[in-house]
This record gives sequence, C-alpha cells and structure tokens, in this order.
Amino acid sequence: MELYKFLPKTNCKKCGKPTCMAFSLDLLQGKVKVDDCPPLLEPKYKKQYDALKELLGSEEGQQKELKINIDDKLCDGCGICVTVCPVNARYCPSSLSGKAPDYPPEKHQLFQVIGGKCELLKIEYCRRLEAGGRERECRVCETYCPREAVKIEYV
Amino acid sequence: MKRFTCSGCSLLCDDIIVQSDGLFISEVMGACLKGKERFDQVSAKNRITSPLIRKDGELKEVSWDEATKKAIEIIKNSSIPLLYGFSNVSCEAQDVGIKLAQKINGFIDSNASICQGKILNKAKSLGINLTTITEIINKGDLIILWGANPAETVPRLLNKVLFSRGKFRMTGREIKTLVIVDPIKTASFRVMGVRDLPLIIEPNKDIDLIRMLKEECCSVDSIPSQGVAGIDKNDLKRLLLHLTGAENGVIILGQGVIQPHPDYNLVEELLELLQMINERQEKGRISLLLMGGHFNMAGFDHVALSSFGVSGKLEFKHNQLIKTDDTLVSKIEKENFDSSIIVGTDPISHLPHSLSSKIAKKPLILIDNHHTATSHIAEVVLPTAITGIESGGLAYRLDQVPIELNKIINPSNNLPSDEELLNQLYRLINQGGSE
Amino acid sequence: MEFLLNSMRKINNDQVKEHAFGTEQSLEERLAICFINPKDFEKLKLVSSLHLKISNKEKDVIVNVEKDDNVPEGTVVMPVSIWSNRLSVVQNNELLYKNIAVKIEATSEPIMKFKEIINELLVKK
Repeated sequence: MELYKFLPKTNCKKCGKPTCMAFSLDLLQGKVKVDDCPPLLEPKYKKQYDALKELLGSEEGQQKELKINIDDKLCDGCGICVTVCPVNARYCPSSLSGKAPDYPPEKHQLFQVIGGKCELLKIEYCRRLEAGGRERECRVCETYCPREAVKIEYV
Repeated sequence: MKRFTCSGCSLLCDDIIVQSDGLFISEVMGACLKGKERFDQVSAKNRITSPLIRKDGELKEVSWDEATKKAIEIIKNSSIPLLYGFSNVSCEAQDVGIKLAQKINGFIDSNASICQGKILNKAKSLGINLTTITEIINKGDLIILWGANPAETVPRLLNKVLFSRGKFRMTGREIKTLVIVDPIKTASFRVMGVRDLPLIIEPNKDIDLIRMLKEECCSVDSIPSQGVAGIDKNDLKRLLLHLTGAENGVIILGQGVIQPHPDYNLVEELLELLQMINERQEKGRISLLLMGGHFNMAGFDHVALSSFGVSGKLEFKHNQLIKTDDTLVSKIEKENFDSSIIVGTDPISHLPHSLSSKIAKKPLILIDNHHTATSHIAEVVLPTAITGIESGGLAYRLDQVPIELNKIINPSNNLPSDEELLNQLYRLINQGGSE
Repeated sequence: MEFLLNSMRKINNDQVKEHAFGTEQSLEERLAICFINPKDFEKLKLVSSLHLKISNKEKDVIVNVEKDDNVPEGTVVMPVSIWSNRLSVVQNNELLYKNIAVKIEATSEPIMKFKEIINELLVKK
C-alpha cells in the first residue's frame, strides 16, 4: 500500500500489468523494478519516482549504503528499538520483563542500550539487508521511536 | 552476569547490568536516560557529601555531631513536626520514619498523597483490579493511557507493556491496541500504529467523555453525531468497541486525571465507568495501573498499612496514632505545623508557591543526597547514601510488586543510608527523653 | 490573552536532573521555559529575544518561550519546576497543576532568576 501511493494510479497498463495496484504488489515482491513503469520516468512524476527509489532502496540502490542513524541528543534509552527489532526477537532470550538487551550482546543483535542511550552495534543482520519480500521494507525501529531519534537512510 | 534493579523511577527495571569494582561504576547497560542519571548522581556536581548547617544565611559544612545536634534541637523545639517525602527511600527507611513520627508526635505523609494514593484507595473501595506489568506483557490486549505520558516520565514502560512479546501474546506490539487520551499530543503518541487510537481531547472535557461512555456503555448506535469533547463519532465508536471487547485491558492513569475540579471527581467517575464495563462484560475485564514518579512511591502505603493498619498519612499525639481529617495540603495551608523534616524530595520546587512559601517560614531539616531548591532554604541538610546504588532495601514497583534493591558500591564519604540516619535521630531523641 | 497552563514532566527539562547536575544558569535555561503553539507565537508577536509573562491570581512569572507544534492553540505548557509552581493552585485542599487559567503577554523584561524566587521565600522567615 505504501508503494501504491506513489504510483501514477492511471492504470495505463504500459507496464504490462492490468492495474497500478497489481504493479505495486509485484514491485513489493521484487518481480518488477521501478523503472518498469514508463510513466514514472516522465519528469512530472520525478518526486514519486525518487520516493519509490528511496523506499525500495535496499533492493535497487546498490550504490547506496544503508545507514541507521540514532540521534544521541533525542534518544532517551527507552529501548523500544531493541525490543521491537525483529532480528532481536528472533535471536535474543526472553526475560520476564520483556526482551532484555543481553550482555555480552548476542551476535545478531542490532541495537543495545548503554549509558542511557541506544547505540547501533552492527547492521549486517538488519532485515533491510537480509530478508526477502515484504520483510525487506522493515522500518519498525524508525516508526515506533517515541523521540523520533532513529532514522533509516541511504547514503 | 548479575542484573541489578534500577531506582531511577517507579518502574524499577530489574535487568540492568552494572560494571563496577565496588568503588566506582564504570558502565551501566540497559538503563534508560533517567536510570543512567540516577547512577550518575553518585558523582553529581551538586551531590552533598557532608552535613550542612545554615549560618548567617549560608549553608556551611559541619561535623555530623554538630549537624545532628542542631536537627535534634529543631525537633525538640517543635510540637507539631511535619514529616514529608519518603518516596525516594527504601521501605525500611519509611518504617523508621513512621517510628520517628510516633516518637516526636508528628504528622507524616509521602509524595503519593498528592499523586497516585488517592486513586488507589478509591479503586480498592470499588473493587477494581490492579494489574501487574508481567500480566500486561503476557496477556494484555488493550492499553489505555489517560492523562499519562510515559515516554517522558517512565521511559521504559511502553517498551515493556506494549512492545514486549509475552507468553500468550507472542507477537507483542501487533496484538496490543494502544489508546491515548490527552489534551496535548505528547511524545507517547509517536509510538502509535494504524490500529491504535489517538484521542486528543479538549482541555477539561474528560468528564463529558466519561459521562457519555457511562450512558452509552453498551450501545454504539446512540453516540451523538457531532462527537464529544472534540473527539469525532467514529473514534468514539472504536473506543467503545475496544472498551467493551477487550479481554485483558489495562488503563494507565497519570497525573493528568487527578486534577481537582469544584463540581465533580474525575477519578471517581472514571473508576465507576470501569466498574460498569467490567460488570457488563462477560469475557474480559479492564484493570488499573497507576503511574508514579519516585521509585518507591507505592511503598509508603504498604509500610503504613503493615505497621498501623492505615494507608497514607499518619498523625500522632502522645505517641499514639490519632484519627485525622487533615491532609498534607490542609496541614500546610493552615500552617498547622511548626517545623518540617523533608526526606528525599523537593517540595519547594514541586508544591504550589502558596504552600512552599509556608514551608519556607518554618525551620526545615532536609535529608537528601543532592542540592535542590529545598536545600536553599533548609536549616540543616543531612546527606545520605543513594538507595539502590550505595545502599539496599525494599521498594514497591508502580504495580505494587515488592522488589529488593541491592547495594552496588560503597557510599561516598561513608554516608549513612536513610534508614541508618533516621534510626540515629530516633536513638538520639530517645536518649534525650531519658535524661 | 487568556490561556490554559499545563505543567508536565519533560525528560529534557527535568528538575531533578538540573538540580543534581546543572548550574543556576542551566537551571534557568531548562526550567524557566514554556512552550506554545507556533500560531499563538505569531499572534503574540513574539520574537526570540522576547520573553513571556504568565500570570494568574496567585503570582506571575517571566520565562523563555519556545514554539512546539504539539501544543494545542490556547494552551501553554511548562515543565514542572519552581517556576511553573508559582502559578499552580490549591483548590479544595487539592493541588491543581493542569489547565490553570492564566493571562499571558509578551515582554522584554528579563526572565525570573532562580535566586529571586528563593530570596522571596527566604524573606518570609
């Protein structure tokens, strides 16, 4: 749905799909590329084209590198990103008060709260790099940060 | 790896990893910013490590003997001492505080009386369940924040109750619905997803919403089409469905709902609404969680209950507990006290000016570990070790669960714990009495 | 203008933190402050060099003012501190910290110093 918003929504069928919705679903699954939609390449859709590229960056923008920035000034160390990160959920042991940041950190763990601030340990196992299909679009750490301190970027 | 309990706020997170050699703390892992600040207080710039006495308007460092002597003198010259605070100390210290109040015929109360204590007593009388954090993690499906902003006050609360994956709620965040009722779009609103329900209510209109819900309790069709208190009809419908459909709902109340109003009692009506929903609902229930600030805010009531069978304030005359209609506020407002002993809190900052100016008029003994606005007007300042770091003890979490705090390092300058200091004052007064 | 004052705890404007770690200057920077909606900011013809005078029947206080989109129009938010508590009210033996009716106006007078408040309290002894 996120992707559909940025398509021309004209159902012009130039891409070979019956509707823009169908195209967005295939786009999501990686079956087609943003450039497969001819109208999007027109200048008037430039903004949407860029937005889609950004959203799908992990699949297409090989030249761009995934970065997760945590703003130290904003972060209050609540640890929501640690808990909500699906990678953490899969590998870390649970405790009675939820998933605790383990020490020494589990080798897959992305985030860790130390000294009252969250820090990014490593990015290799981030779903945006590892997973396939929809899971590659994961940005839960950014979405749920109450202080808006986590930013996913491609640079 | 041993895990410690953090005393930064009332959530008492029990999963903190502290690296220390017994003298200094080198690293704190897992604690939020507030918790980290608590650990940093050990070496804070404004930490007090020696007793102080006001001489010619200035606080001067003195020996322990001189300081306690002065404190005893103030207490002895006072016929109605006011003892207040006790939310940032262990239950053991609270117990000694009550003993001391009995000895010196004082009035003793904790911060909870102007915060969450009122709701707790009302909830008990209506028979509304208090829930625990673990229960919400494992079973909760609806979380309502009403006048509470945990993202800035109890930072890890939302992490635990909303995001943690529990035993019967494996997927965590996805299965729990969050509803926030607040007049201001606080930081807590930012954790909301599409299924959640943000309700920005018009200021002072909470009562209209509660009364509407009470009337319409089980009939979605009769919601007024123009909405209520700035909340539109569809959101109200969703709110009703959530309230009546939750299997294990919890409503978290903050300072926002305990504001007084001349015509009605908001907390009372809100709790009555919950009672009504729980009676009509067959498959589930809604329970209560009170969000306090200080780490042992819930403890004082438990200690007072176990030692004297009453919750909250206690007043003594002739070393006997007496029945009193006075509250902390009325006591100060009527200036019905002639000295105060403030333990681990800062009333000069957090009470309205009309009350703090009355406290400032009388001699004040402060027991705390760093400078505050109150230390600027205190006659005597007696520093203590920081509970949960430099001394241990029992504390009650915000969901009324007792948790043991541990000593991690030795106190700076060999400071006594709150319990030891209060005990010493008690002994000194006792000795004076037999002379 | 008639406003509603709401005092609330904010993690970056925390009185416990400032009293423990700060200086008098940082205390004033962080706590002698209020937040209003940008639209109200314009209506009051405020600029960054001006301060806000907030008053009610209790007292008045002059503090720094900042814009905050999350504050609704007609409301002024202050972090809980000795400054905000000059305006909080005792009502029927209970404490009113939120939705307090206040008057606000822009002023070029300096903000109220921490020492001023303390000295005012000490004078009454």
